[in-house]
Amino acid sequence: MVKMSVDPVKVKELQICTSSNGEKRESWKETDELQEDHLGLTAKPKQPKPENAVTIAVSTRVLFRTELEEKVFEQHGVEEYLRYQIEHENEPFAPGPAFPFVKALETVNARLRELYPQSEELFDIVLVTYNHAHVGIRLINTINHHNLFIERFCMTGGSSPIGYLKAWQTNLYLSANAEKVREALTEGIAAATMFTTDKRTEVSETQLRVAFDGDAVLFSDESERIFKAHGLDKFFEHERANEDTLLDHGPLKGFLEALGKLQKKFYAKGQRLDCPIRTFLVTARSAASSGIRALKTLRAWGLEIDEALFLAGAPKGPMLEKIRPHIYFDDQMFHVEGAAEMGTVAAHVPYGVAQKHNSGVGE
Amino acid sequence: MVSTIANVDVMQKDADKALVVAISCSAVLEDADDGDVYAAGAAFALLQALKSVNRQLVAANPDESLLFDVLLVTTDERRRRQSARIVSSTKHYGLEVSRFCFSGQEDFVECLLENQAQLFLSTEPEEVALASQRGVLSALLGHQTWSSPSEQLRVLLCGDDVVATFTPATQRFWSQLGALRGRFGVLDSPVSVSVMTAHGGRQHFGAILAGLRSRGLKADEAHCLAGAPRGPILEVLRPHFLLGDLAWLP
Repeated sequence: MVKMSVDPVKVKELQICTSSNGEKRESWKETDELQEDHLGLTAKPKQPKPENAVTIAVSTRVLFRTELEEKVFEQHGVEEYLRYQIEHENEPFAPGPAFPFVKALETVNARLRELYPQSEELFDIVLVTYNHAHVGIRLINTINHHNLFIERFCMTGGSSPIGYLKAWQTNLYLSANAEKVREALTEGIAAATMFTTDKRTEVSETQLRVAFDGDAVLFSDESERIFKAHGLDKFFEHERANEDTLLDHGPLKGFLEALGKLQKKFYAKGQRLDCPIRTFLVTARSAASSGIRALKTLRAWGLEIDEALFLAGAPKGPMLEKIRPHIYFDDQMFHVEGAAEMGTVAAHVPYGVAQKHNSGVGE
Repeated sequence: MVSTIANVDVMQKDADKALVVAISCSAVLEDADDGDVYAAGAAFALLQALKSVNRQLVAANPDESLLFDVLLVTTDERRRRQSARIVSSTKHYGLEVSRFCFSGQEDFVECLLENQAQLFLSTEPEEVALASQRGVLSALLGHQTWSSPSEQLRVLLCGDDVVATFTPATQRFWSQLGALRGRFGVLDSPVSVSVMTAHGGRQHFGAILAGLRSRGLKADEAHCLAGAPRGPILEVLRPHFLLGDLAWLP
């Protein structure tokens, strides 16, 4: 732990606790890019180049639980908030809604490294936060405490993170700030808002499970517009008539694609049955009718989805509770809340026509 | 022979208490094809930012003595001889230059030392190297720095050995800059200090943050690249100048 007195001048010796995950890997050769020992750095696997990796940017408020600190900020302002953070620097935060997802990403990375030691096609996690540098040490201590593999940080000190998301070639941005998520989506970056809930069902520690809603998440919101404007019958009619026309893509299509690419790397090594990534489509569309168009579109895009669940309008909560994804993406708060009530970590994708309505009534 | 001339149009600062920033004339005023007035150079926006910071410091405290004290330095014979034109151009643009130093290639560093310059900025690598060798903290402008207008002075400390390579000159500069930064609140400050580590991971990053804090510098932004290319990040960060052990590298 960092030993810091409140008076910075008195500090003579600074210790940051070393994490137990910094084991030297024998299979790595010494290269210029490997962390050099003369800087006192433990030798860890080389970080991938952003363009090669699937970059996940997470904010502190979704990776950890910071409600207490947020309250300090709201009630007493930023100076007091920072002072509080520094004072509690040695107290790690508790895991937040994105924590199990991030842990699962690391599990996949470990498996990928075993099979492809030289490859940079991995998940890369960047902590992207509005926080000022002052909070950095507490975040590092927390990451050490929980044995996370995060080495990249982007602390914007109050500036907008959007430009940095692009600079990091972010494939997915998770934040508690809906406005920033919306902005990211506008800039073409897959993003979703996450919420802290108390109830959380247990999820797998060996397999990353990601579930997606269909319309306005993987696909565009074109069909949802029809439904909202003209009702269910017109929606069915339209889908039937356009069965062979591909749906347009939605904001999370790229992320599903990135997952698919990594999955193929496991299949190539004969690990299809034991693949540590599993994807799910959880849609209110019906298998026999409107769902066909969704499947045809996915197939045309060359995307595989492991399980497609067509609920034909039935509530999603119970199904998600069975699937137990690490994260579920939906464009409607109604479903996000419903999922959360049953302990599923759901993320809101504020995209499309559903945002103009307060709560969707089914799809 | 080095002559330092005060700019009578600008309020003189107490050099002992101010943060003296010397800027090479060619970085501020570029040759223009016609007229008696030079064109604006790469450091123009930086000067405007320094002026803005000073204005806000004085607005907060009329007796403030910790201000940016700008010294414009000529570093070649040609410009040394154009003192009148330089002074009038400075006046023309309303630049807050406190003093002028009309020196040449061989003696501009003397000028920096005599005037207690805590920081020297130039677009010429050789000049930066010469000043550094004599112990003056120096930074190169125009290389991964931005000259677009900005409301805020943006300073970046970039490197992997930044704390270990602190010299007394570096320490003094960062203490002064830290104190100056401290005159403003956390948000909406006209000065933003950023820190960036290039190759180390989070342990190293944390050690740098702690080390800087103990030396009186609280950064606003902090970036740990852990090997990622820094060009794209710098394009968003847009520092007016960079300091540190990796300031030169792509």
